[in-house]
Amino acid sequence: MTILKNYIFDIKDRHNVLMQLVRQQITLRYRRTLFGYLWTLLNPLLMMTVSAIVFSSIFRMDLKSYAVFLFSGVIAFNLFATTVTQCGQSLVGNEQLIKKVYIPKLFFPLAVSFAMLIDSVLMFISLSMIILTIGGHVSWALVGLLPAYVMLYFFALGIGLVMSVITVYFRDLLHIMAIIMQALIFLSPVYFKPETLSNKVRTLIELNPLTEFIELFRSPIFSGVFPPVQAYLHAALYALLSLTIGIWFFSKHEHRVTFRM
Amino acid sequence: MQKIIVDNVSLKFRMYHDGGTSLKEYFANLLRREKRKNYTEFLALKGVSFNVADGERVGIVGRNGAGKSTLLRTISRIYEPSDGNIQVHGRVAPLLDIGAGFHPEFTGRENIYFNGAFLGYSKDQLREIEKEVIAFAELEEFIDSPVKYYSTGMYMRLAFSLATTVHPDILILDELFVGGDASFVQRGKERMNNMIDKSSVMVLVSHDPSLLRSLCERFIWLDHGKIIADGDVSVLDAYCAS
Repeated sequence: MTILKNYIFDIKDRHNVLMQLVRQQITLRYRRTLFGYLWTLLNPLLMMTVSAIVFSSIFRMDLKSYAVFLFSGVIAFNLFATTVTQCGQSLVGNEQLIKKVYIPKLFFPLAVSFAMLIDSVLMFISLSMIILTIGGHVSWALVGLLPAYVMLYFFALGIGLVMSVITVYFRDLLHIMAIIMQALIFLSPVYFKPETLSNKVRTLIELNPLTEFIELFRSPIFSGVFPPVQAYLHAALYALLSLTIGIWFFSKHEHRVTFRM
Repeated sequence: MQKIIVDNVSLKFRMYHDGGTSLKEYFANLLRREKRKNYTEFLALKGVSFNVADGERVGIVGRNGAGKSTLLRTISRIYEPSDGNIQVHGRVAPLLDIGAGFHPEFTGRENIYFNGAFLGYSKDQLREIEKEVIAFAELEEFIDSPVKYYSTGMYMRLAFSLATTVHPDILILDELFVGGDASFVQRGKERMNNMIDKSSVMVLVSHDPSLLRSLCERFIWLDHGKIIADGDVSVLDAYCAS
């Protein structure tokens, strides 16, 4: 509890530092590129268009409704995957700052994850417009996305915090993470409905915590209904567990990483 | 009033021998009965204690590897003491490395806000002092270019100007910043003396006896992470004679 109190004090006390780090994340990524920030939106949009066309014909689904289905899964998965991988790099990538000025180390993963959250929300807004024009529906259930976002964010942040520390000692993890994420997207119900699968793979997917989170995004966006309360409870539990472990692990190791940079 | 209280501080440093562990070494290590560590631990600071009161200018001397820079970094909170306690009262402005806390891709102006945040300035404060910082650093022409194109001198001027435009309570200084191109040194000195007059604390690490003599009146002699002597200019004389 005192760990958490100290971290919250740091954030309040030095929120200007945190804001500068978030700004750095967002403004520097595409500096001096022609499309600038648009790349953040263009990249998933192009990927999704191609996937929608290919997979809708494989699964023999209507392209428009499949696109909405895919979109709801991708938005959740992307937030998770980018937050975890980018957090993983956040300490190693800021070696120069960590070794030379005092900044609470928690700020690095935190700033990165904020930037990813902002990206995700912007992507959601811009893609929703496209979805609406091709015939998605708006319903009150979309309000349910708010808690879903919060829970998924904390779930990803917790894992990201652990990754950020381990990567300092074991840099191969960055590459391992990339592979895991590629595999994980197929072990999560992003491209398909889990019901369509055979039993073995299906159990695997049902064990995957991300399935719960994707459901929270898919019900309101694709089906236009609130997800079952149970799904929220499970997701909240996962998020709490992940965040607790993440903060505990981070606080235990953060002082030693300076020497290993 | 005590501004810096260093109480029995030890710092255990880990020096790693390689660039990282490869898979082969990792598994070889698992099979070994005696684990071979890929780092050595050593004490960079051993039970260091001293206080610095308001208005003092402290010079830290010692041979290479005595722990001078480590001590400054520990006071600036970059390293966490493994043992003991450090209390610092007031806003600290550490000037330890050239370009520390600057982002090379950001312009000079953006870096005023970026680095300024780390120095403890609020956004409004920075907006207020922006002009003055640029003028003192003599960078009006280049302030909107990325700092990666800056020369070392330009870097230092910006860093020094930013750290000292609002009087910090505590200035922690490496001799690097007191060197630099001649006219700026003169003005830098004026400003620094001015700051100390306004009852701020300065801690300076240097190898240059004449510089130390001109700026400091108290000296701490470090050797192998321990304080050998702490006192007035006689400590400096003793160190120079050794």
